[in-house]
Amino acid sequence: MRQSFAELVARHRILISAGSGGVGKTTLAASLAVWGALQGRRTVVLTIDPARRLATSLGLAELGSEPRDVPAELFRAQGLTPQGSLAAMMLDQKGAWDALVERHAPPEAVPRILANPFYQHLSQSFAGSQEYMAIEQLCVLAESGRYDLIVVDTPPTRHALDFLEAPRRISDFLDRKVVRWFVRPYFSAGWSALRAVNRSAGFLLRRIEQATGVSALAEISDFFTSMSGLFENFHVRIERAYAVLRGAETAFVLVSSPEEQVLGDADYLSSKMAELEMPLKGVVFNRVHHEYRAPRGAREIEELAEIERAVANVVGAEGEAHALAENFLDYQTLARGESLRMEQFRLGLSVDVPVVQVPNFARDVHDLRGLAAMHAHLFGAAAA
Amino acid sequence: MTRGLLDGRLHFVVGKGGVGKSTIASALAHLLARRGRRTLVVEMDPTARLSMLLGAAQVSYTPVEVGDGLHVMVVDGRAALEEYLGLIIPVKRLLSSVFSSTVYQYFVAAAPGLKELMTVGKIWYEADRRTAGRPLWDAIVVDAPATGHSLQYLRMPQAARDTFGAGLVQREANKIVSLLGDPRSTAVHLVTLGEEMPVAETLETHAQLVDALRMPVGYVVVNRVHRRTFSPDSLARLRAGSRAQPLVTCVAERATEEAGWTAINAAQLARLREVLSDTPLLEVPFVFAEEFGRRELEHIIEELAAQMPGPATATRGRA
Repeated sequence: MRQSFAELVARHRILISAGSGGVGKTTLAASLAVWGALQGRRTVVLTIDPARRLATSLGLAELGSEPRDVPAELFRAQGLTPQGSLAAMMLDQKGAWDALVERHAPPEAVPRILANPFYQHLSQSFAGSQEYMAIEQLCVLAESGRYDLIVVDTPPTRHALDFLEAPRRISDFLDRKVVRWFVRPYFSAGWSALRAVNRSAGFLLRRIEQATGVSALAEISDFFTSMSGLFENFHVRIERAYAVLRGAETAFVLVSSPEEQVLGDADYLSSKMAELEMPLKGVVFNRVHHEYRAPRGAREIEELAEIERAVANVVGAEGEAHALAENFLDYQTLARGESLRMEQFRLGLSVDVPVVQVPNFARDVHDLRGLAAMHAHLFGAAAA
Repeated sequence: MTRGLLDGRLHFVVGKGGVGKSTIASALAHLLARRGRRTLVVEMDPTARLSMLLGAAQVSYTPVEVGDGLHVMVVDGRAALEEYLGLIIPVKRLLSSVFSSTVYQYFVAAAPGLKELMTVGKIWYEADRRTAGRPLWDAIVVDAPATGHSLQYLRMPQAARDTFGAGLVQREANKIVSLLGDPRSTAVHLVTLGEEMPVAETLETHAQLVDALRMPVGYVVVNRVHRRTFSPDSLARLRAGSRAQPLVTCVAERATEEAGWTAINAAQLARLREVLSDTPLLEVPFVFAEEFGRRELEHIIEELAAQMPGPATATRGRA
């Protein structure tokens, strides 16, 4: 027996919405958070979306890097009564790295590190850096004990897998042995040290630096020398991050649209997650087109002429009956393709994973009421 | 406008995730090839999904023919960098040990944008290749990564020119910057949907391309446009008369849904036309299909062809 989506949400303290970009992950995360607050939980939602959409829909002017409360009056103004509370925050990637440096580096080294080009690259554009910081933030929130429900909206990476692998990638990159090698005093002296290790490799690397005009290694060395304390303990942080991600109170919720390409990505993601021991525990199909099914016992109607007659009976024969019937059949075609693909996807899932569908609303969700309107589709009877 | 925006050699196709960027890129490439241009599709996604879609048997880092007059290749920054360094330092045996060393991995990570620069450099190399006294490719269509990332790539040559010390890279960056900035050779086409968020992002990207990158913008392609309207009178009658008729109720709902999207798309198209009054828009109608296949792609190619000046009518301006 599949558990319901409402049960899934009730049983977990951390919900992570995963999926490819453009499928409505941020909106879903916000809707889940609103649900948590309505259900009496102290809820926080962490978003990565720099567009102000989430802030606006929650009624806040903007989000900061610290949780900001959504005042209960805002709920009440829209006819909602929260039994719990809701706070929202946005990931500030650069700020989070800077805070990490400020906490762990010797005070006198901080300005030099912040200005170091290698550090700037690591904190802003190293693949996985943003994802890793989101997980760091999640750990901080989880350990604060201030919240019963933490909802995380993952970055819009093309492959959500980057999120799951981020800690490992950062960990490999900041591997202790390598770091130690870089901070050996003689290395800072320059290429001569490297030449001593391997004459030809040293020569080639120097040629590369000359050819490209990049003198990076001195910067790397300087960075690691200043930060060595932090990175010595880095593997501990990574272990802690994975413990939270794999924990029993954490649930990954896959968000996908029923389009072919997107579902293909979702399929891949779902198998990879299982391999990483972070199985997905719920699936939300977003932007699903409605499929008409004849009432029980009645015959399926698929003929254009027949539908046209039924419509003409109501709107009149000289009206738009033909165009209306055609439009209906076009949407049926679309919906049939989607429902076949969703069914196929569902077959690959473990039986206890709840799967819910949210229809393709012909409008933007832009306020608390709009977010709450999704609950009927996500939670069914529990939302009534 | 006195010339077609597809006349240049280099076409970047840019857009937010989920707007159908690869579909539009492949439709443009087919269109160019059918107009008799020797066309190369460049993909930057290492999973080579577009290559497979176009019929390539496997991932290829050199151009391979896939039929319909099209060629395709995947460009990967790291591979391009190694290739480039191989040209400078022709001691292959030693290079491979360097590439596998940890120090080199750090070097690549630490030299900001080097991989991106090499990717664009590789595309430039293909654009610059000549055979028998004429360019090897008449057209190169680049299916760029999702927008934010694309701009990072397009920004690199300028950044490299301005920040890297004097060296080979700086000299080459100069050549690339002038190619990318020349409207006779380059066009950046923006793919979007007629919805609030994608349009906002497109306007932002457009501004960045024009103001900061000074790159020539080609077409703005609005994908999945709904166009049907129904008279309020029919809809009202449908709703009123649909009691106890689930089928009629559903017909009414679908008509309302379609009309809703038509209104949203029309408003967003108007917004694009107003802000980007100098940029020609192409509208690709929404495709109702169970599965998106060859027939649906053909349909999009025809739509695009009908809306842009053909080779014979290139001087006639916008269709």
